[in-house]
Amino acid sequence: MSVSHCGDFKETYRDDMKVFQTPFVRVAVGLFVLLLYTTPLFSSNYVTSTMTTIAIAVIGALGINIVTGFTGQISLGQGAFMGVGAFSCSYFMRVAHLPFWVAMPAAGLTAAAIGMIFGLPSARLKGLYLAIATLAAQFILQYVFMHLDAVTGGSNGIPSPPPEIGSFVFDGDRSKYYLTLTMAIGAVAFTTNLLRSRNGRAFIAVRDHHLSAEIMGVNLFKYRLISFSVSAFYAGIAGALWGMYTGYISAEHFTIDESIKYLAMVIIGGLGSVIGSILGAIFMTLLPQALTVGTGALASIFPKIGFLIMSFKDGVFGIIIILFLIFEPDGLAHRWRMIKAYWKLYPFSY
Amino acid sequence: MKRFTASIALAAMAFLAGPLSAQDIVIGNLADITGGTGDVGKPYADGIKAYTDYINASGGINGRKIKLLQQDYAYKIPEALALYKKFKDQDKVVAIQGWGSGDTEALKEQVAKDQIPYWSASYSAHLTDPTKSPYNFFCAPDYSTACRAGLKYIKDNWKEKRKPKVAFIYPDVGYGKAPIPGGKAYALELGFEIVGEENVDLKALEATTQLLNIKKKNPDYAWIGGTKVSTSVILKDAKKLGLTTKFFGNIWSADEGMPKLAAGAEEGYMVVIGAALYGDKVPGMKAIEKVTGGQPQVSHWIRGWVSMMTMCEVLKVAEKNKELTGPGIRKYAEQLKNFDTQGLTAPITYTSSDHRPFMSVILAQFVGGKMVKKATIELPRKQEWLGL
Repeated sequence: MSVSHCGDFKETYRDDMKVFQTPFVRVAVGLFVLLLYTTPLFSSNYVTSTMTTIAIAVIGALGINIVTGFTGQISLGQGAFMGVGAFSCSYFMRVAHLPFWVAMPAAGLTAAAIGMIFGLPSARLKGLYLAIATLAAQFILQYVFMHLDAVTGGSNGIPSPPPEIGSFVFDGDRSKYYLTLTMAIGAVAFTTNLLRSRNGRAFIAVRDHHLSAEIMGVNLFKYRLISFSVSAFYAGIAGALWGMYTGYISAEHFTIDESIKYLAMVIIGGLGSVIGSILGAIFMTLLPQALTVGTGALASIFPKIGFLIMSFKDGVFGIIIILFLIFEPDGLAHRWRMIKAYWKLYPFSY
Repeated sequence: MKRFTASIALAAMAFLAGPLSAQDIVIGNLADITGGTGDVGKPYADGIKAYTDYINASGGINGRKIKLLQQDYAYKIPEALALYKKFKDQDKVVAIQGWGSGDTEALKEQVAKDQIPYWSASYSAHLTDPTKSPYNFFCAPDYSTACRAGLKYIKDNWKEKRKPKVAFIYPDVGYGKAPIPGGKAYALELGFEIVGEENVDLKALEATTQLLNIKKKNPDYAWIGGTKVSTSVILKDAKKLGLTTKFFGNIWSADEGMPKLAAGAEEGYMVVIGAALYGDKVPGMKAIEKVTGGQPQVSHWIRGWVSMMTMCEVLKVAEKNKELTGPGIRKYAEQLKNFDTQGLTAPITYTSSDHRPFMSVILAQFVGGKMVKKATIELPRKQEWLGL
């Protein structure tokens, strides 16, 4: 059983920084990961592929949480950076004939470099002004996707070849899921550790009070830039995986809608929280699907007004988001902490 | 208590949705009802549904009923992908009726790999090349053919000595750009002078800058490759600026609802239509008039109907030969020769090396607030045009 102190009795910083605070947490997380790996064995391909999209969203959401949640810089370009990753991964594989295992990190680095360029305005701009500057990144990149025909296939899009190890090709739902899940777990572990590092603390200092941070010797510009490029790196990886998942990349996917969706994920999940990114990604991926299936089922019961019911979907989606923001302003991560606290004190909560 | 109510509701849902008979043929339909193209997506989906109900009521596919699963993906690619997985893995559909360029392009590779025939309402020419997209089909002139037909009609009716001048106005998206290279090449071949090219966004609320450029170059004709709303914006602004240019446009650029949007500016506008108009005196219209109770439907509705009709024809042959599988449906689709849609479209032919349904294009024109048929242009089935 989990036995943890009824207060904060840690004596060293090392104790305080532990990822797994009690052995129970370690076991629980281990079991959960095991469950994630075994799910495809007893679930349908549909569930597996939905979980693949969630895993991709988790990586993208972690990325935007680093720049927006931890460093406090609003970024509206995450969707476009994902596009950079997807197109460059496909390009490296098709033209340079690199294996996926080299092309994917290279695509991440390409996205990181481009993210850094579009992070440059953060030297001078803050808040809403920076948001508008990153919005420009979104539109410039979208234009490039549409017109750099040699790399992106222009308006027709371009195929994304599947990864291979030896003669094994990752083109089934399960193999894609395992690959994406492993990357997502890697991303979660890396982010968690990044935040315990010097860089991570600098990010949070920049967010909480940039003047104090600078007085303490944190180079604001440097860390904002690092944060932008790390965030874009995640987006690039997520984009490369998205390309692998669909097998075909088209510029019509990486629009402002996609960027806003990722921003919404971290706001709903919880800004500045790793678990928040995960919960937000799950929520924002499943809710539209649940609504689609739900309204579809209702529509088949009442075929006369079927399309009318379907058209309520977006409205319901909006209402759910508004309700969430009113009743869960700190995001799903906060609710998660409350649930944990409840069970920790159970049955003697006061 | 809440959980109890929910489970009752679920049980009721399962019961009412009805047990799926093993005899039913399951077809998926990715439709856009609420998304960016919902204004034309809904009538198209309605047309598909209406034909399904019609064929089920009149004997089905050799006695077997079609179970049509219509789902709204709101023109969002991730939702289209998720629904596609659901169709494939859970519902085990044998074929899919799709919709726009977003979903069709995104699913092109997957339907080829999973061998699921996909009838779309995206008519990009590259979908007609079976070496690139073996499982994609559609039942309308592709965008490039549409553009070529318009140019040919203009050239055939050109009386002056000098070369006719033409400009191209289109949105900077896949749908808009698709026919431009083919159209331009054909315009030069026919002896047009190309004087300009402008981008007007699908969501544009005004187009004066672009039209002032056009006005300077003063083309005799200009192609509009947008959708209904952006076309109405272009036509209204052109009227306001006093352009003498005549406009002609792609299949999605106008429908029967145009006069309401353009308020008179649409007079003389020529548009490509893919099928008969409601109320035309063709044999196929009788069934449509019957199921709609005489309520006029837009041309998109009729194309949805024809698309489902063509698919059902293929399903019938595949069913009879006991090959109701993806590859089987593709095989019999590619044997479809001069399939008579009862006058609703030109006869449809697919072969294993060419998925262009037909090469004849109907042009309609707006006269006095009404869309009337103007001409039918027959183009040669040139091999070098395939996929371009």
